[in-house]
Amino acid sequence: MVTDEIYKKEYDVIIVGGGATGAGTARDCAMRGLSVLLVERNDYSTGATGRNHGLMHSGARYAVTDSESATECISENMILRRIARHCVEETDGLFITLPEDDLQYQRTFVDACQRAGIRADIIDPDEARRIEPSVNPELIGAVRIPDASIDPFRLTMANLLDARIHGAETLNYHEVEGVIVNQGRVEGVKLFSKLDGRHVEVRGHVVVNACGIWGQRIAQLAGVKLNLFPARGALLIFGHRVNKMVINRCRKPANADILVPDDTVCVIGTTSDRIPIETVDDMRVTREEVDVLLHEGVKLAPSLATTRVIRAYAGVRPLVASDDDPSGRSISRGIVCLDHAKRDGLEGFITITGGKMMTYRLMGEITTNAVCAKLGNNEPCRTAELPLPGSEPDAPKQGDLTKRYSFGERAAIGRHGSLAARIEKDNDIDNALVCECEGVTVGEIKFAVHQLHVHNLVNLRRRTRVGMGTCQGKLCSCRAASLLGELNHDVKRAQEDLAAFLDERWKGMRPVAWGDTLREAQLTAAIYEGLCGLDTAVNMEGKEDVQ
Amino acid sequence: MRMDTVIMGGGLSGLTCGIALAKRGQRVAIVASGQSTLLFNGGSMELLGSIDGKAVTAPLEAIATLPQNHPYRKIGDDRIAALADEAKQLLADAGINMEGNAAANHWRITPIGVAKPAWLTLSDHLRIDDLEKLPAKRLALMAIRGYLDHPNSMLAQGLRDLGFDVDVIEFTTDEISSLRRSPTEMRATSLAKRLISDHALQRIADQINELAGDADMALLPSVLGQNNEETVKTLQSMVKVPLRLVATLPPSVAGSRMQASLRHYFMMLGGTYLMGDTAVSGEMEGDKLLKVSTAKLADMPLRADNFVMATGSFISRGLKADYRRVYEPVLDLDVDADSDREQWTQFGVLDQQAYMSYGVATDERLRCLKNGKPVTNLHAIGSILSGHDAIKAGDGTGVSLLTALAVAKDILANK
Amino acid sequence: MQICNLSENNFEQCTKCSICTTVCPVAAVTTDYPGPKQAGPDGERYRLKDPAYYDKMLKLCLNCKRCEVACPSGVHIADIIQKARMQASAGHRAKLRDTVLANTDLVGTMANLVAPIANFTVGLKPTKLVMDSVMAIDKHRTFPAYSRQKFTTWYKRNAAKQQDAFANHVSYFHGCYVNFNFPKLGQDLVKLMNAVGYGVHLLDKEQCCGVALIANGLYKQAKRQAKTNAASIRKSVDIDHRTVLTTSSSCTFNLRDEYPAVLDVDTTDVRDNIMLATRFIYRLVDEREIKLVFKQDYKRRMAYHTACHMQRMGWQLYSIELLRMIPGLDLQLLEQDCCGISGTYGFKKENYENSQAIGSILFKHIADAQVEAVTTDCETCKWQIEMSTGLPVENPISVLADALDVEATRAANGLK
Repeated sequence: MVTDEIYKKEYDVIIVGGGATGAGTARDCAMRGLSVLLVERNDYSTGATGRNHGLMHSGARYAVTDSESATECISENMILRRIARHCVEETDGLFITLPEDDLQYQRTFVDACQRAGIRADIIDPDEARRIEPSVNPELIGAVRIPDASIDPFRLTMANLLDARIHGAETLNYHEVEGVIVNQGRVEGVKLFSKLDGRHVEVRGHVVVNACGIWGQRIAQLAGVKLNLFPARGALLIFGHRVNKMVINRCRKPANADILVPDDTVCVIGTTSDRIPIETVDDMRVTREEVDVLLHEGVKLAPSLATTRVIRAYAGVRPLVASDDDPSGRSISRGIVCLDHAKRDGLEGFITITGGKMMTYRLMGEITTNAVCAKLGNNEPCRTAELPLPGSEPDAPKQGDLTKRYSFGERAAIGRHGSLAARIEKDNDIDNALVCECEGVTVGEIKFAVHQLHVHNLVNLRRRTRVGMGTCQGKLCSCRAASLLGELNHDVKRAQEDLAAFLDERWKGMRPVAWGDTLREAQLTAAIYEGLCGLDTAVNMEGKEDVQ
Repeated sequence: MRMDTVIMGGGLSGLTCGIALAKRGQRVAIVASGQSTLLFNGGSMELLGSIDGKAVTAPLEAIATLPQNHPYRKIGDDRIAALADEAKQLLADAGINMEGNAAANHWRITPIGVAKPAWLTLSDHLRIDDLEKLPAKRLALMAIRGYLDHPNSMLAQGLRDLGFDVDVIEFTTDEISSLRRSPTEMRATSLAKRLISDHALQRIADQINELAGDADMALLPSVLGQNNEETVKTLQSMVKVPLRLVATLPPSVAGSRMQASLRHYFMMLGGTYLMGDTAVSGEMEGDKLLKVSTAKLADMPLRADNFVMATGSFISRGLKADYRRVYEPVLDLDVDADSDREQWTQFGVLDQQAYMSYGVATDERLRCLKNGKPVTNLHAIGSILSGHDAIKAGDGTGVSLLTALAVAKDILANK
Repeated sequence: MQICNLSENNFEQCTKCSICTTVCPVAAVTTDYPGPKQAGPDGERYRLKDPAYYDKMLKLCLNCKRCEVACPSGVHIADIIQKARMQASAGHRAKLRDTVLANTDLVGTMANLVAPIANFTVGLKPTKLVMDSVMAIDKHRTFPAYSRQKFTTWYKRNAAKQQDAFANHVSYFHGCYVNFNFPKLGQDLVKLMNAVGYGVHLLDKEQCCGVALIANGLYKQAKRQAKTNAASIRKSVDIDHRTVLTTSSSCTFNLRDEYPAVLDVDTTDVRDNIMLATRFIYRLVDEREIKLVFKQDYKRRMAYHTACHMQRMGWQLYSIELLRMIPGLDLQLLEQDCCGISGTYGFKKENYENSQAIGSILFKHIADAQVEAVTTDCETCKWQIEMSTGLPVENPISVLADALDVEATRAANGLK
């Protein structure tokens, strides 16, 4: 738990932002021997990190329009396959051409991929239908590329774990409410703890602003102006895996043209809209977005029309505004690392933005290089070589899991790689499933609570997938709430936590609440309100959305 | 096949209506599409629990203030009290003994320790008549080791907030522990199947007697007595302190017992219960429904003088919603529902959700409307009725029981 | 394009309400089985992600379908489980024991030739012990006795000639049990149908319906036989215009529903013309096409047991309603519990204890009912109940035939 010790220390670097970029930077800094504090205002990976496709791009999508991004992607893609094995599923991907698309584009596309160093094999439409039975059978062309799926929650957590192994401190639910500037030099941050309501100051030589779209506000607090371009994208989650491979449209990037198989589900996205910066915290998905996603999605895989949608969600891409393109698509996803000493004359302050979830490691490396330059540290970056915790070479592979393990163990190994060995499983009670859809055991929950910074049910969900199955937490949320209350010795908040969790689940279900998802919601209400009376026990009004 | 009345839906309302009709000599068939929502019931019936978020203490009085389209108002305020008594008696006749009265709500204790207003509660479940005068001071909450569907810590906290002293006492027996070998199947209903013999009950009693110490009352999760009330009575007789059950998360043992008792009683009265079958379509002639086809009887439809829709709300698929609309799937009856999907739901999970009060449109006699006109021999009862939010108002089971009885009377009176 | 987006993936209609787990007879007696929810829709999502998530304990599923009957969401839970078993079994050879148990017709044919010896041998203690230890067929089990004369042989010698003389006609899918073990049931059906003016004919070619093959993982063979049967049935229905009657609920269910659902042999075009004889007869009575007259002096007290597959088809009411027409029959309805045998399941040594534990609830109800005999539409329920309770068990068709006043019935239906 939070101790005053953490507040009192003086750090080489304070990283603001607990997404993939912040976590990757913390890991890199810590591995180079710097003393590190990472602070996050909510839970880890709540921003854009946790609100995208979970796609590990091959770079092919950007090959035609943005060759720099494409090159970065394929290089990071190959690195992540090595260092983050347990977060990656090597699915490969297809770029399909439909009758309404221009088949000429395929040639342009393949050439561009080859220039960027991305393997791109044109395959026969029949072959495409064979290797990916869900694909729109009307396709007239297909290219196979090394896309993959990646779990951003696990990836971020593994980076944070490794940062801690190398001595870093990490605090979630600590919001930066001020940047301490003294004589043109940043010396630390003022923090507000959402956990106990305290206001504290922590000192550091360099402050890294790794807050994605919210970095604009941190820069403001430091007195510098940043012009970020918020481009919003909405996505839909389907109840099970329709496709085995990532399916893309082989044309200029447009709405809802990527379908990614993620763990037990698949995700279609995204839309793309320019939004005012003031609205970046409003993640509610509109009816129009749902309509677009469904109508475009069925063109990739027709069976989506008859597959249950379980959730909708949206994220905001942090792009650096450079022109007036209202779609936000022709803008480079390129990485932008700003040393504010050079840019604004403010020493000890670095902003890292732009980029993509999957180039987080490179962004961390670039940032750490900049930090090290300021601090006179000459250690080389090793984040591309050393595997993340959970992906050590001896970690069991998915394919080996057939016989020896129970369902819960297999699911846990799939999620935590070699770290799953730390999960207690020697007695019947630890092996009992809390979440039956996703195979989360009591032991895994104990492991998450004790080792992965869990304060509430939503945290627990991100660490374990509890409540992420088709029922979105029908029985498991109550089981988990009770268990979490006991493990954290905080039963008084358990009812509120349960209500907050169900509310978070409902936010994703509401935009797609018809058919079985509406039935599901009514049954959940019958259990938690009708049977349990949660609505009369908890007053949700005026509650800040602290997830 | 020809019946006097065919009831579509075999849950609380369908069975109640079927029993009332079969008792009067009617040939009744019930088409039951799987088990009902009684399996999510905590062992209580609610007449009216809440208006605008405020707990109702005197439901009979409060009913008169409900909006005109509420099913109770259609039945008629002056008939509610008598129908409520009749419902209680019918349940008792089926072997379901419940306590409480319609004039004043008591409190039931939910699995997470909340006190909720209730009309009737099973005699062996914990019930509090007056929150100022608790039935015991010190409670021994017997927590089954490794059982996840009874959130003991939350329950204990809730009971303490009500003013009880609570000791949470973890225990197990061989029968119980052996079930935990399954990672998934330690559910209330599975426990109930293993805790039937006197031997198994005695082991639990021994644990309670040894561990409950000087508590005034012992509480046990409701994991006993799936078949009858005797199991619980036997255990109570073995335990030195008063013993009460507290509802668990579903599937509910008490609900399962109520469902089975009602079905058994209905069949004893000569009723035909088509389990696992679903009404799929009907054939109309003028303003009358002639026959109903089911999935399994296929080309041998059920004919009857009267039909009753008791197919439930969305959960039970009595109502369906797709991407574009809300509809009634068997006969495409008129529904009271918003046409714009945006209106169906609200942003907060605990907000009042409009879809909860959607249902088939009925006239004053609860006859279903189709194209704005009543189908003269087709009534609707229970959760498929529009005009009330059963979950927020705490009137779901009450509406099921009372509309079922009112419709049975209407059918008998207009023979 | 107009999209309703209602899921057509049956397992996705599961709302995780867990009601199915309350009725599963296997999960009730062993913790080795993950239960219908986990084995069915929950496991299916994971198997779609990676087939390695298949749990070999799915073999414990009885395929009794009680989960499907209880499911309020219409999920075909047991079908999902059977399909998963089938996919996982691809490439594996079945055990000798399973092959023997599953091939009810082949083993039956051999046994018929040497019926007295076969009956004697399988009843012998040393043989039983060999079966127990080598074949893993439980030693407590008594194999149903083999008849000396097959039903088909009897039919050809004694009944075939007369059938064409009737005005109306049906075909009869007799199944292995009637053919090899209990021709009397087939004879009873012929007696009953003839009495109401219907000629009974055999199918051109009938093979074992394959219900045991499916249960024992012999899918290829099951599929082959299914195709043969489907062709014969199609000829009967489409060319001869004869409805195909059965007297076994399991065969019926298999022909109608498991062929398309599990074996991908589409019988939907003739599905409505395959039915249990009790349904066919009930309909004729209900529509006043025929009349049944029963003996005045008939007096019995029996209990009706709803076989699992009967419940899944939802047709028990036809058997019950017909039996209720017998004035001298005091019919008790048993609660709908599984007897535990589920075809060949209970014959296997590893399942014997579970099988008897599952059935114990039913056996108690039967004892409480104080009846002289039990009636049910399933032959394997018959073996199990006879072995476990000592009471005789008869098919409703046999009860009807027994109670029927043949002459009076013939007269009432205008036959000379």
